[in-house]
Amino acid sequence: MTKSIMKTSRALAVAMVVGIASLSSTGCTERSAVTWHEPGVYKGGDDPLLAKQKDSQQIAALQERLVMGQSDR
Amino acid sequence: MARMKFLCDAERCIECNGCVTACKNEHEVPWGVNRRRVVTLDDGVPGEKSISVACMHCTDAPCAAVCPVDCFYTTDDGVVLHDKDLCIGCGYCFYACPFGAPQFPQKEAFGVRGKMDKCTFCAGGPEEDNSAAEREKYGRNRIAEGKLPLCAEMCSTKALLAGDGDMVADIYRDRITKRGGRPETWGWETAYKKSDA
Amino acid sequence: MKLIKKRDLTATETASVTSRVLGSMVDRRAFLRRAGLGLGGTAVAATLPMTMIHRAQAAPSAGAGGDVEIRKSVCTHCSVGCGVVAEIQNGVWTGQEPDFDSPFNMGGHCAKGASVREHGHGERRLKYPMKLDGGKWTRVSWQQAIDEIGDQVLDIRKRSGPDSVYWLGSAKFSNEQAYLFRKFAALWGTNNVDHQARICHSTTVAGVANTWGYGAMTNSYNDMHNCKAMFFIGSNAAEAHPVAMQHILRGKENGAKMIVVDPRFTRTAAHADQYVRIRPGTDVPLIWGMLWHIFENGWEDTRYIKQRVYGMDEIRTEVAKWTPDVVENVCGVPEEDVKLAAQTMAENRPGTIVWCMGGTQHTIGNNNTRAYCALQLALGNIGVSGGGANIFRGHDNVQGATDLGVLSHTLPGYYGLAEGSWKHWARVWDLDYDWVAGRFDSGYVDTAADVEEGQAPVPFADPMNSAGIPVSRWIDGVLEDSRLIDQRDQLKAMFFWGHAPNSQTRGPEMKTALETLELVVVIDPYPTHTAVLPDRKEGMYLLPAATQFETYGSVTASNRSLQWRDKLIDPLFESLPDHTIMYKLASKLGFANELTKHIKVENDEPLVEDVLREINRGMWTIGYTGQSPERLKLHMANKHTFNVTTLKAEGGPCDGDYYGLPWPSWGTPEMKHPGTPVLYDTSKSVAEGGLNFRARFGVEHNGVNLLAEDSYSKGAEIKDGYPEFTADMLKQLGWWDDLTAEEKQAAEGKNWKTDLSGGIQRVAIKHGCAPFGNAKARCVVWTFPDPVPVHREPLYTSRRDLVDKYPTYEDVKSHYRLPTRYESIQAKDYSVDYPLIHTSGRLVEYEGGGEESRSNPWLAELQQEMFAEINPADANDASIRDGQWIWLEGPEGGRIKIKAMVTRRVARGVVFTPFHFGGWFEGKDLLDKYPEGAAPYVRGEACNTAFTYGYDSVTQMQETKASLCKIIAA
Repeated sequence: MTKSIMKTSRALAVAMVVGIASLSSTGCTERSAVTWHEPGVYKGGDDPLLAKQKDSQQIAALQERLVMGQSDR
Repeated sequence: MARMKFLCDAERCIECNGCVTACKNEHEVPWGVNRRRVVTLDDGVPGEKSISVACMHCTDAPCAAVCPVDCFYTTDDGVVLHDKDLCIGCGYCFYACPFGAPQFPQKEAFGVRGKMDKCTFCAGGPEEDNSAAEREKYGRNRIAEGKLPLCAEMCSTKALLAGDGDMVADIYRDRITKRGGRPETWGWETAYKKSDA
Repeated sequence: MKLIKKRDLTATETASVTSRVLGSMVDRRAFLRRAGLGLGGTAVAATLPMTMIHRAQAAPSAGAGGDVEIRKSVCTHCSVGCGVVAEIQNGVWTGQEPDFDSPFNMGGHCAKGASVREHGHGERRLKYPMKLDGGKWTRVSWQQAIDEIGDQVLDIRKRSGPDSVYWLGSAKFSNEQAYLFRKFAALWGTNNVDHQARICHSTTVAGVANTWGYGAMTNSYNDMHNCKAMFFIGSNAAEAHPVAMQHILRGKENGAKMIVVDPRFTRTAAHADQYVRIRPGTDVPLIWGMLWHIFENGWEDTRYIKQRVYGMDEIRTEVAKWTPDVVENVCGVPEEDVKLAAQTMAENRPGTIVWCMGGTQHTIGNNNTRAYCALQLALGNIGVSGGGANIFRGHDNVQGATDLGVLSHTLPGYYGLAEGSWKHWARVWDLDYDWVAGRFDSGYVDTAADVEEGQAPVPFADPMNSAGIPVSRWIDGVLEDSRLIDQRDQLKAMFFWGHAPNSQTRGPEMKTALETLELVVVIDPYPTHTAVLPDRKEGMYLLPAATQFETYGSVTASNRSLQWRDKLIDPLFESLPDHTIMYKLASKLGFANELTKHIKVENDEPLVEDVLREINRGMWTIGYTGQSPERLKLHMANKHTFNVTTLKAEGGPCDGDYYGLPWPSWGTPEMKHPGTPVLYDTSKSVAEGGLNFRARFGVEHNGVNLLAEDSYSKGAEIKDGYPEFTADMLKQLGWWDDLTAEEKQAAEGKNWKTDLSGGIQRVAIKHGCAPFGNAKARCVVWTFPDPVPVHREPLYTSRRDLVDKYPTYEDVKSHYRLPTRYESIQAKDYSVDYPLIHTSGRLVEYEGGGEESRSNPWLAELQQEMFAEINPADANDASIRDGQWIWLEGPEGGRIKIKAMVTRRVARGVVFTPFHFGGWFEGKDLLDKYPEGAAPYVRGEACNTAFTYGYDSVTQMQETKASLCKIIAA
């Protein structure tokens, strides 16, 4: 068990290095604003769906559709 | 807040692959990329059972935990999505996922590994809903249109269910009751099989 | 794993990780995916465009609620009739949504149905009319193609007579196209016309219609919710009719016991309560074995038999021979299994029986289907909801094309080919009967040379009134000695109009036949196996037909319901709808005016609604008369109002109608008959969709009454059996004056089948009676070779010890115009060199000959290679390992190079192959023979290349379920 965790974290470390390296290299050549990686923090694009999901009408529509389409009528 | 879940009723699944082609149809994922697939155990012998598998949209998703660039995010209703602009196509999520969900398209005939692609619960990604960019990168956003994943909506026998987990459970529970209370859930036998069986 | 190349690593890894997680398994799909990736997979990936036609491309600004138009059609794959909802933007089919409103599929689709949108893009379609010119496919114009083809067939007609041109039609036609096609062949002057029904359910139609009146599915998929028991024999619904499983599993969840009898442990068997494995070709012994227990224990329904069944005693006599030990010896099924199945059916009534190609495709197919009927009659299961003979038809419109007579032995509506039948249809067509008769051959050969030598003319079967050559035998129509064929000359030209040749047996001979023909014309959305099989330099044309999504019209599902398809998109490329091509060709051949005398034509396209109205005017026999275009369209618009179990509309504009007006929908459309959801159900009045068995075989036989006794449909004023209705009978009953003056004029001297006013039917139903009379079903068909169904060993059998006791038929000199061999083949023992039984069947991803579905990348990816299922013991005996190339060879020498799939799904001694592959022949991929860009993504050997001779004694159904083969490592 410990062995596999160790393996995982080693691989993770390697991957992170690769990841950061590739990010920063693109940042240098192509982007003016650099996205600095911060472990555990999502820094990708905004998803407008997140706002929509708080809409009670949207929630009701999905629930209604589930019953209409997927239950045995 | 609802939590979106898939559930595949193994008693109903007939391995017809309708879910697989519905997904191909809806998102136009290329040859070789399968966001969803049907897995069969004991193929061809008594006890044969199938279930349809895709991203399970885990609450504590291992793909997200290991992602070196943290390209994953989880929506309020529990759908695990990712940003393909951040993804570096390293494939580490593929190691972490117990279901083989992450897929890596070939960009050219001679296999440059592309960005990771997976089931979005038909909820698109971090782009304007149903914009050309979102469709190109993530496929159609049915959730934004008030619809549920097409694989489940088109399931030939209504084996595959998708939506608010509590309501999916209700539909499934009704069926189980009708069948005489014998639980048929996937993995039940493994978990509760009598030791002498 | 050795097949995998490095570049395919990702997909392979996925498969292996999944399998690690979910247990060790080799399922068919994983097996093929792995096998295929190294070969077909990458080749395809390299040629496939990166993106298909995206919604974004069709309408860049389209969002939810944009300029999306919703149009509705019906899936073009199987006979379940699943509703298809299409989103169309700027004429492009950009999205497919579930049709939750359809009471047939409630939104569900199998792999094929969920991918039909791809057909709307059709990268691999046949795009233009093409002609084989010096061995190269050359693009030609429609006009040139029609002119050249027309000139050639007119020349052949002059030299060899109209019967030398074969019109092979399709179960892919709409009803209107099917009807027009049969009329087309009639006006050309031949009965050499047929379609897929010959090789799928012809033995069902013949066997079942001769038992109780009609040859169709008696109940419906939906009605299976009401079953207490479900008995499948030779049906693999989970792959062949996947959406039917929604209804079947609901029935099971409602408590029905499910039994599956099949040589293979199918995916349907995986859901059964009891699985019974039989040796291929032993259906009759198994059924008689069950009846043995039923009679032994007194489980039969004696009251029902007394009232409604003729000849059960003769069945009883035959059944007595099938004691449990004899059954076990012949079928390989132990007594307790047979008894359990019999007991389950006896104790759980009503129960239904379901059968498909596993039962029908045998030299004794008609015996099998009649044995199934006898079982259900003994149990009193016919004519009740939850019971019935639920015969699942194959193609989406094979029921409709059968009903509309695209067959060599009948005119539309099963009227047959007798003079009276032709006169009926000539009246409907408003054509002079003598003119129609004059289109046919004279019936004898009287050449100038013969006259000089004083020879008498050589007569042959009356060309107008005798059955033509069936599709299963067209090869012999080309290759057989012309003196032995019951028509003027051999076949010289073949039209493959929506028909794949790889669905017919005897591949090597077929290749020769295709090379012998003067002219081969393929009319199809795809080039098909026909285009590539023969080595020809010229004399071959490919004409692009539109799919049913590119035109409109009605289609009949297996349960006899008609649905209306909208046109979703315009025909792709240069393709044209089939009925337009028929009109163009008829114009060239000189009978277009007769073909469309009462049908409006615009831009060479006959108006589909007018065609249906003409169908309504003539199809009295099976009640295709009430389903007007207007009524069907109203049903389509109100699908959601129909109950999903009863199929009855509850309120709304169709209130009281059954969905799709399942035939018979008696009388005129104005009579508003609701359709008949369950055939022969006496618990309802005829006006409300009730019925009784049909009086089709006279009123008595050998002094025994054939009419029903003390049994009649609810509300019938004749409270006993009665013969079919005629004008005279109405007069005798004193009901004549119920007819209007106009109806009287039309009905005088006519009967319920030929009265074009529908008055006789209306009045009969008004008095609660079935227009076709009220009789018993018969278990003994005295006109068939085996009046009581008996077992006969297959022509190619591995059980030589049983041949003496259960021999096949004697050879027949002329059956459907051709010499037909039985005992001369069975006489020779092939089982030493060819020790394994070869049987065939379907895969869920493909359909029919497979050209369309193998050209759909979403489907093709899932089944990349032709294979054979082989039991581990047989594989070890032949030193064959899972996944390796093998040669499978049939006893007539046809051989195919395919992959081995070693599995216990098949019993030891049995090899299974799927029949959807084509584009290979005897080890060679014929890719370079396809027109450029029109080859299917996946090609493979046609299993029928290795299948052998053998035809049903009544219908000429081909034997594809019990032959022999050997397997060797390639």
